[in-house]
Amino acid sequence: MADKSETPRSGLSPEQWLKLRKYSQLLFMILFLVFFLWSRREFYLFPAAGASLKQELINLPLKLDPLVMLAQGLASRTILAGSLLALITVILTLLLGRVWCGWFCPLGTLLDWFPLRSWKKKEPKIPEWLRGVKYILLLIILFAALFSNLSLLFFDPITVFYRTLTISIWPALDQIVTGIEMALYRVPFLKPIISGFDSLIRPSVFPSHPVTYRYGGLFFGFFLSIVALNALAPRFWCRYLCPLGGMLGFLGKFSLVQCEIAETCSLCGSCFSKCHTGAIQTNEVVFCDPGECTMCMACAADCPGGAITYPARIAKVIQQPYDIERRKVLISLGTAALGVGLLESNLVSDAQSPKLIRPPGVINDQLLSTCIRCGECSTVCPTNAIQLAVTEAGVEGFWTPILVPRIGYCDYSCNACGQVCPVEAIPPLSLEKKRKQVIGKAHIDRNRCLPWAEDEHCIVCEEMCPIPEKAIILEEIQVMTSDGVEKTIQRPVVIRNLCTGCGICENKCPVSGEAAIQVSLHQRHFRNSRF
Amino acid sequence: MNELSRRHFLRILAASLGSLGGLYLTGCLNQDKLLSRSLSADKIPSTTLLTDPTSTVTSPTETDQLPSTPEDTPAPSPTMAYPDLTVARNGDPEVMVRKAVKALGGMKRFVKSGDEVIVKPNICVGYHSYEYAATTNPWVVAAVVKLALEAGAKRVRVLDFPFGGLAEQAYVVSGIQAEVEKAGGKMVVMNNLKYIDTAIPQGQDLKSCKIYDDVLKTDVLINVPIAKHHGLARLTLAMKNMMGVILERRMMHANLGQRLADLNSRVRSSLVIVDAVRMLMDHGPSGGNLSDVKKADTIIASPDIVAADSYAATLFGLQPDDLAYIKKGAKMGLGVKNLDQLMIEEINLG
Repeated sequence: MADKSETPRSGLSPEQWLKLRKYSQLLFMILFLVFFLWSRREFYLFPAAGASLKQELINLPLKLDPLVMLAQGLASRTILAGSLLALITVILTLLLGRVWCGWFCPLGTLLDWFPLRSWKKKEPKIPEWLRGVKYILLLIILFAALFSNLSLLFFDPITVFYRTLTISIWPALDQIVTGIEMALYRVPFLKPIISGFDSLIRPSVFPSHPVTYRYGGLFFGFFLSIVALNALAPRFWCRYLCPLGGMLGFLGKFSLVQCEIAETCSLCGSCFSKCHTGAIQTNEVVFCDPGECTMCMACAADCPGGAITYPARIAKVIQQPYDIERRKVLISLGTAALGVGLLESNLVSDAQSPKLIRPPGVINDQLLSTCIRCGECSTVCPTNAIQLAVTEAGVEGFWTPILVPRIGYCDYSCNACGQVCPVEAIPPLSLEKKRKQVIGKAHIDRNRCLPWAEDEHCIVCEEMCPIPEKAIILEEIQVMTSDGVEKTIQRPVVIRNLCTGCGICENKCPVSGEAAIQVSLHQRHFRNSRF
Repeated sequence: MNELSRRHFLRILAASLGSLGGLYLTGCLNQDKLLSRSLSADKIPSTTLLTDPTSTVTSPTETDQLPSTPEDTPAPSPTMAYPDLTVARNGDPEVMVRKAVKALGGMKRFVKSGDEVIVKPNICVGYHSYEYAATTNPWVVAAVVKLALEAGAKRVRVLDFPFGGLAEQAYVVSGIQAEVEKAGGKMVVMNNLKYIDTAIPQGQDLKSCKIYDDVLKTDVLINVPIAKHHGLARLTLAMKNMMGVILERRMMHANLGQRLADLNSRVRSSLVIVDAVRMLMDHGPSGGNLSDVKKADTIIASPDIVAADSYAATLFGLQPDDLAYIKKGAKMGLGVKNLDQLMIEEINLG
């Protein structure tokens, strides 16, 4: 990563630089996907093997993200050792400008791959002040983080990419592939081929049993709108909205290497349309704003007069009308303070809902000021128990992890979520500790439970209970059925002090719709309640 | 140009979707045909063994119910009658398996050269290592794999579908993956794709269910359960072990005994080897307490699934009639539950 010094005297022509950038984007996209796939299986299959090293490696994209790390540090008032990796990006930006955006960022790469050029009938006029939005967003995020709120981190491009990949894109691809396989598997002569293909891709790429995530459409909609905005202007997101882009843009103003347009420029204007972020502008003279330039080299490769170079020197910082200035800072500070204040003063009843079950070891209040909303816990959860909250955890808890036992249970042999969490919002518990960690408590609805309400045989919850002493026991009882037959049935009873609330009973309960045995928060979890 | 290419694209799309749909439809047709054909002339190895003339005891119901397929009959030595069930005790797990199978006539009686073999151990959860007796002993599974390969099996696959945790994890945690791979077998993760809606012609309560395709198609299915406690069934043994090859298990519990018998009438185990090296006496099927584990160092082998389960029940101090699925299975003619009617060979290695 550090080997790319873009000095004009390095011997590469602008065209070669351009090619190199495209390879770099491809390489980092592939790396990102490989890490994503790796993380899905690695943590629960090999929980003990080099967990902290794996965690650092798999979370590299997030750890290199200075916005996430700075905001997280401010909100949680702690500095994680791994977060210092973000300084690499900061230093790189101070040396070379916004190379992160142009060369590495997977979301930026994707936006480059889908320019939606053909959708544009005519160039819409977008006001220049809109570029200031990303700075305001950045400042609001950082000020809110000062007040211990991280809700807006869901705008960070890396977390956007992670979440969407986990919740929407991968499951949808899985469904499509499964659908095609299912159809072809019915054809007798294709069976061995499909069977062989299937054992190649499962369980290494796709899971062997379909995964379920709620609100996949919503998450994808957010992502799709980011891509669709490309139709208005190339990399609309990076130009106007991306808070990380704002942060790197601010740093990029001071960068050593900058795009420079010589006075020999013939004003042919070809670079205007080539520039991904519209960084090349003109008022009296043609210039490139280093705060907007992503060092993509497209302009240099295209310049007929060869007037565009990338010299390394200390340049004067030129303030643009859309850049950070005092008024923007004050507006953001006010907005953040007011917003966080309003959230705090709102006694959100949802946040105290007994169904708001968090991953093992999480303390609700701390989660809100430590979770960066990346959704990695949801990625690695082998049973899909961890889902991302939309309304369940209140406005502050938007896109924080919750456990939904009816979708998945907390596997007795898995502590992957705590292992993968890049910021220890979910504590990294050892397997022994996690097995004893109380998440909630199960309770039986005797009006719906088959043996209790219908005198039918069912012991599924007892059978599934992973606690060695069984936190659900069966009480044998003689009953008289409605047709006057005497019958011995076993009725499940929860032993509350043994139950950890893993939720496998709720997950497997055969009663349709809502389970007849459900996990809810333990009274102990309400200790910080205001009531 | 743009117009044309779009039309072209749509045309290709329609054609490919159409052909896919066509393939799907022909697939459905063939499936039904195949199904009916496979039902009439299904190769059920255990059947042949039960109706084998050399078998010492056959209850009348068996011969009524089970279609005999003489062309599949293996060539046993006509002079020697094999025991119905063998029990090996007090030895190393692998040695016990080898002795027990050898006394039954050797693995060649069940596995012919070039056969596809599937071994179905009980790997119900991925929580504990084998010492906790929730999952089949790895060395027992490995011994079965070795025997099958020695008998000339083309490929030996080992699979189960745990209810707690994922298969990949359970395979590793149970210790079975390591031993099976050392023995030359292949651990297979079962996936949703291959559960096929299958009719159960002899089923009395369960008329059809989704059964794993590979298990239905394999030449030889060797059922290697561990003997352990279960809340509803009282014990989970070989017949209960077949729950692992179906997709929707929730609906089994309503009438577990009959439905297990129905399932076993369709998915026949060619050979049953009950692992009672360690038995889980309480808090089954998931276990987790070493104090619930009893070391019994016993291996039971039989081609008769009902007989194997009946004998295993006695290890827990129960009678075959105490277990609903044994009663129903015997009634359906899946095997013999009355141990007095069986020729049993006991081998003590201690």
